[in-house]
Amino acid sequence: MDKNMLAGLEGLPEEDKARMSSMIDHLQLRDRCFNDCVDNFTRKALQKQEETCVMRCAEKFLKHSMRVGLRFAELNSQAATQD
Amino acid sequence: MAETEMEYRVELFNRLAQTCFNKCVDKRYKESELNMGENSCIDRCVSKYWQVNSMIGQMLSAGGRPPM
Repeated sequence: MDKNMLAGLEGLPEEDKARMSSMIDHLQLRDRCFNDCVDNFTRKALQKQEETCVMRCAEKFLKHSMRVGLRFAELNSQAATQD
Repeated sequence: MAETEMEYRVELFNRLAQTCFNKCVDKRYKESELNMGENSCIDRCVSKYWQVNSMIGQMLSAGGRPPM
């Protein structure tokens, strides 16, 4: 994954982005986008719409994971200050 | 942080992300951006998942007796 895909979350310190990026299950991301986007096996090469779908899926999932990561961190720090 | 605690956190994060993606995001991938509805859904989903996780954690550490 390149930096472009992570650019959706401005204002997040670089080390947090890197940490979140390493937590994301890349295998799961790949499998999900493959399963959701690729259904046609009459050709060996990926078709244009499959490529587009996979790109959007991956970007979307990364942005989603970043957002989840933010909320996760908020809840984590709330939990730490309770008790 | 102990290694198993860290592993637990990472696992929790990934399951949470997967679950809320399934619940909230349109699989047709018409665009690469998350829309406002999806963003709200994600925030709420994370919050609820977290609460459920806490509840279950408490139930299990209390010896399996459900809280009234």
